[in-house]
Amino acid sequence: MSTQVTEQETETEPQEKEESTHQERRLTEKHDRADMRERAEANLKDAEETVKLKVFRYDPEVEGKKDPRFDTFRVPFKKGMTVLDALIFARDHFDSSLTFRHSCRQAICGSDALFVNGRQRLGCKTQMSELEWPVRIEPLPHAEVVKDLVVDMEHFYDQMESVEPYFQTDELPSGEEQKQTRENREKVKMSTRCIWCSACMSSCNIAAGDNEYLGPAAINKAYRFAMDKREGEAMKEHRLNIIEQEHGVWRCQTQFSCTEVCPKDIPLTEHIQELKREAVKSNLKFW
Amino acid sequence: MADYYSSFEPKGTRWLLQRLTAAFLVVVLAYHFMLLHFVNHAAEVTIAGTTARMSQVGYFITMVSFLAAGAFHGVNGVYNALVNQGLEGTPKTAVKWLLAVAGVMLVVQGIRVAIAMTNLI
Amino acid sequence: MSQSYDRGLIEDFGRWQEFSAGMWAWIFHKFTGWVLIGYLFTHIAVLSTATVDGATYTTTLQGLESLLVVRILEVGLLAVAVFHILNGVRLLFVDLGVGLESQDKAFYAALIVSAAITVASIPTFLVGAF
Repeated sequence: MSTQVTEQETETEPQEKEESTHQERRLTEKHDRADMRERAEANLKDAEETVKLKVFRYDPEVEGKKDPRFDTFRVPFKKGMTVLDALIFARDHFDSSLTFRHSCRQAICGSDALFVNGRQRLGCKTQMSELEWPVRIEPLPHAEVVKDLVVDMEHFYDQMESVEPYFQTDELPSGEEQKQTRENREKVKMSTRCIWCSACMSSCNIAAGDNEYLGPAAINKAYRFAMDKREGEAMKEHRLNIIEQEHGVWRCQTQFSCTEVCPKDIPLTEHIQELKREAVKSNLKFW
Repeated sequence: MADYYSSFEPKGTRWLLQRLTAAFLVVVLAYHFMLLHFVNHAAEVTIAGTTARMSQVGYFITMVSFLAAGAFHGVNGVYNALVNQGLEGTPKTAVKWLLAVAGVMLVVQGIRVAIAMTNLI
Repeated sequence: MSQSYDRGLIEDFGRWQEFSAGMWAWIFHKFTGWVLIGYLFTHIAVLSTATVDGATYTTTLQGLESLLVVRILEVGLLAVAVFHILNGVRLLFVDLGVGLESQDKAFYAALIVSAAITVASIPTFLVGAF
């Protein structure tokens, strides 16, 4: 943390004061960083094991980084260290410009989906010990890179929004609560686990090629509500209409990559297949 | 209701037809291969042998159905592969019609050939 | 907003060693599909000699069959067709929601059986070719 100057002695010279404050702060930060680097070097020497990280760097606003490259960081390895831990160490000790999203560090916020050693994984959930070293960390494929490991999530959010990802019904039960049977809850249970990390969409070749494809996450979201009996039949039909479009469920080629990379173990392909069957059944009933 | 309707059928129909023709083709293609490479030998095909086979009603009907199913399955497959790869807008419509016409022409020509091969018609 | 960097699709095929069973299955099924539809058009074209007259038909077909390269291509056609059929059966099961847990094993099985059938058929296909 930078040092803060809490008092301003005179108000007549705010300009000068701010300059020296800024100067002071800069110098203190520089000193701290040098300290940190020293401590890092010391840490590295003490550490029994160190691991090499190869991290994708790209910054369109910085001369040296307009062309993407890989930076190597050597971080000390501690038992139980996750990819996120390693990245944070590298950022805090070696290069504060290293940029990546993270928040909860417990696999629930979905911020830190990354492409680690060629596979989509959550940084906070992936143990360094289960990977081959050196560890290669890149931003999610099939998404536009904004900077370093940060990708543009707007397209993903658009697809999610398009399936109306919220509970809605016209059929309210009179008086009592809206009850759900245990069986129905079990049916939708896995599909409720989505944390919107977009690992699945990033792994799907169809999503990569066809820009309009809804993607496994959006279709799974539709499944979660379409299969929820509390919404009623009319709403289910409405939801099926959305995902029955040409770029909805039919684009899925059962590649299974989404199911394999989902950090919440949601059987995405299975859900998409079930919706295909539902759509076919409802279309056959033309009477 | 849905905003977008395909020119011919409601969504999902082509998906279903692709699977139905698939199931049919699995059996008939295997049979076709067995008949023409193992039971008979491709190198020994003559007009006489062909006419003999094609003059049996059941075989004739099977072959024409085989052609129709195969043409649909293949052309629909190609169309979907292209859409998956990102074909959209005007090129997509153009390709759709091109493929549909090619498919129809294939079946028409195939039926003409079948008629030439049979004594039934 | 700064300009974002689009790495495109090319990087995908560079990672072929990291492909999963499902992805290989999709790629092979597509490839064999293209070959088969291409063959179907060619096949009907060749058979169209029957509309000229019987002699043309017989001569054309037997002429083609006498070429070694054609006989070898026929083995290739068999391989392609058998894989497309076996993987197609796997896909039909997936579409019915049956056996999804073993979908990757089913792909490997389809690959192996296709190879076995192709190899076993080589003698029959190449009889009289040399």
